[in-house]
Amino acid sequence: MSELTLEQGRAQSQDAPKASELTLERGLAAFRAEVDGPVAAFFSSCVHCGICAQACPFYLETGDPKYTPILKLEPLRRVWENDFTLWGKIKGLFGLNHKVTDAMLAEWEELLYDSCSMCGRCSMVCPVGNDLALMIRKSREGMVQAGHAPEGLIAASVRAIQTGSPMGLQWKTLAVQINHVETSSGLKVPVDQPGAEYLVLLSSMEIINFPEYLEAITKIFDHAGVTWTLSTECFEATNAGIQIGNKDIAAQLVERVVAAAETLKVPKVISPECGHAFTAIRWEGPNLIGRPYPFKVFHIIEVLDELRASGRLKTEGMETDRLSMHDPCNLARKSGVIQQQRNLMGLVAENFVELKEHGKFQWCCGAGGGVSSNERAEPLKMAAFKRKKAQIEEVSPERMVTMCATCRTQLEEGLEEFNMEIPVVGLTEMIAEHLVEKN
Amino acid sequence: MAARNPTDKTLGESLRERGVSRRGFLKFCAATASMMALPPSMAPAIAAALEQAKRPSVIWLSFQECTGCTESLTRSHAPTLEDLILDVISLDYHHTLQAAAGDAAEHAREQAMAANPGEYLVIVDGSIPGPDSNPGYSTVAGHSNYAMLMETVENAAAVIAVGTCATFGGLPGANPNPTGAMSVMDLVKDKPVINVSGCPPIPMVITGVIAHYLTFGRLPELDAYNRPMAFFGQSIHDRCYRRPFYDKGLFAKTFDDEGARLGWCLYELGCKGPTTYNACATMRWNDGTSWPVEAGHPCLGCSEPRFWDAGGFYNTVSVPTSASGVNVLAAGAAGAIVGGAVAALAKKQTKTAVAHRQPVTVEELEAKL
Ligand code: SF4
Ligand code: SF4
Ligand code: SF4
Ligand code: SF4
Repeated sequence: MSELTLEQGRAQSQDAPKASELTLERGLAAFRAEVDGPVAAFFSSCVHCGICAQACPFYLETGDPKYTPILKLEPLRRVWENDFTLWGKIKGLFGLNHKVTDAMLAEWEELLYDSCSMCGRCSMVCPVGNDLALMIRKSREGMVQAGHAPEGLIAASVRAIQTGSPMGLQWKTLAVQINHVETSSGLKVPVDQPGAEYLVLLSSMEIINFPEYLEAITKIFDHAGVTWTLSTECFEATNAGIQIGNKDIAAQLVERVVAAAETLKVPKVISPECGHAFTAIRWEGPNLIGRPYPFKVFHIIEVLDELRASGRLKTEGMETDRLSMHDPCNLARKSGVIQQQRNLMGLVAENFVELKEHGKFQWCCGAGGGVSSNERAEPLKMAAFKRKKAQIEEVSPERMVTMCATCRTQLEEGLEEFNMEIPVVGLTEMIAEHLVEKN
Repeated sequence: MAARNPTDKTLGESLRERGVSRRGFLKFCAATASMMALPPSMAPAIAAALEQAKRPSVIWLSFQECTGCTESLTRSHAPTLEDLILDVISLDYHHTLQAAAGDAAEHAREQAMAANPGEYLVIVDGSIPGPDSNPGYSTVAGHSNYAMLMETVENAAAVIAVGTCATFGGLPGANPNPTGAMSVMDLVKDKPVINVSGCPPIPMVITGVIAHYLTFGRLPELDAYNRPMAFFGQSIHDRCYRRPFYDKGLFAKTFDDEGARLGWCLYELGCKGPTTYNACATMRWNDGTSWPVEAGHPCLGCSEPRFWDAGGFYNTVSVPTSASGVNVLAAGAAGAIVGGAVAALAKKQTKTAVAHRQPVTVEELEAKL
């Protein structure tokens, strides 16, 4: 190889059959590709104060220092130091640098996937402004290419690409639900209606666990005179590609949504009640596919609050129970949707009490970022939930309200695990129950 | 200036008397609305409220300071000091600006306090030698700063601390703090204290806070340091026009290199923008002419607590403060070394890495199951 120029060498390696294996080399190359200005500035500006640890439910509830957020980024940090800094190169000359090995990545798989929900609380408190959650997302790109992603997330990604749903659901399952909704509500669920105002996307979790959501929006949109539709071409917008940390898979999933919206010529798309789906389609999507969308993306809570503000949402009666609310990280902290859900609560709840840390400071439920699709992470997921549990105990509500199917499942499972009899309700469903009857 | 009776006139009347046109006034209201991130539709509401508002009595106390904050305020443009401050509020007492001296001046303060109990605003610039300090360190008319502050705020509606000295102790409070200087919020616990920090603060922020108070009858929403969110809600870095260079890893290395000439990010020259909350990047200085980073100088972080003790102006943010313990010191030394090396971020390397990135296929993933 020494006689070859760099160009020839490169050409040669391109001619060679594409390695169809996920290897350490590919992983390291992917890590390198993720090192950009912010990553370099973040690592160089960390003052090792450890404040990020105090923000992370996985560290706090296990007390194990290996769950300190900045430590989770060690593989990316080493790649940066060894390959991008003068100091690292000098250390390299003397054989003093710490290389990233396959064994290291195997060890870090748990730290990067099982013990991080990408909730972004650590990013918010870092005194020098390091976006740790962003770097977790970037590190996962390297982990996937090195073949070190958890099985649960690999399977979810494969199913998402092959069947259109990370849980392997097909349209016929949804068709059954549509049937139920139509029978029980006496309303038509619009499917493949070109020119509707909104394309509504669902998550598999909603279809299977919370079918009442579909019924609720059917009723609300009928009540408010909103035109909407589902698409048989694409009904799911959760993005397993984002959670596993691979932009190729993620982009394909986003393209499906764009194609469906373009076919139906809708100006607005409603993300599922799933926090990660929302940030994936709302914030990462256009960057992933490299072009702007021809439509706008909303969370259902934003749409409902708009309807409320314009007087199109007429409700009657009040919930009298003591209700409290969990803000999904992706909605509140990462997307700034905070006041909207409170406005809607104000419509129907007369006894609402905030958790102590709420809005952008709320604690993660522990299930996001793919943790819930990763069976191995179950004990950690429950450990992280103890933070939420303690918060809930502090205000002892009679019911909890939320607006993300993953959070809701986690809250239900967690409360049951700890024998707390506090039912969890979806905000959209609660609004639907209070609509003024049409005459 | 002699004490005026603030109950005399409404603001609208008083402004018109001064020859401020209705149009000029509305323009000011629109500017105020946008400054405070209120929807433009709020402008008429602000106008209506200000028209009817009585000029609140304001007592301005200057303690251990350099007069930079007053200098900053007198250089405000929209609205000008004359149009707004002297007319919209009734500035009944101001050490630096008032013509009266000696007894007459002190009487003006007492008179304003007696005439408007529970309603006047107190603006403070400068820090205060605390109750345990020698009262002789700083006095006005024979009263210690501490005694004067406590007496004046007793019947005030609210206190606005202006400038980093009043908000966080500032230069007088810097290590070793010989006069035991304290901030207003360290001392005043039973009155709303709103902090307009900055060394000096942005003049329009001062007028904006007053306009907000007059319009809505309450203080604006505050951050964890009691600063108005509308102005201090975002970091310098969030709004910096050099940010795209930061994101691309393009940093000026010296003040006169190629990067500096091309307008690259000043992070490595010590810019504190990432940890500093202020409105410089959006409102700029001198009637919107420019601001430090635009003039080629890194942000010093003047609006943050411990401004003077937070390490060298030209050290990158990776070098932490010196005064908070051995651990942080050690980390700081390490940080400085690594910080020096961030310069070596090889952009070409990233580019090659990105160009040679191999896309992942679902088959490859499936093979892992
Ligand atoms: S909070 Fe920020 S500066 Fe502190 S250890 Fe974590 S990443 Fe580093
Ligand atoms: S993003 Fe959340 S879960 Fe992940 S390291 Fe940060 S605080 Fe912990
Ligand atoms: S110049 Fe300062 S504020 Fe602007 S992008 Fe660079 S570091 Fe951030
Ligand atoms: S740029 Fe920074 S140091 Fe300069 S005035 Fe603004 S906040 Fe203060």
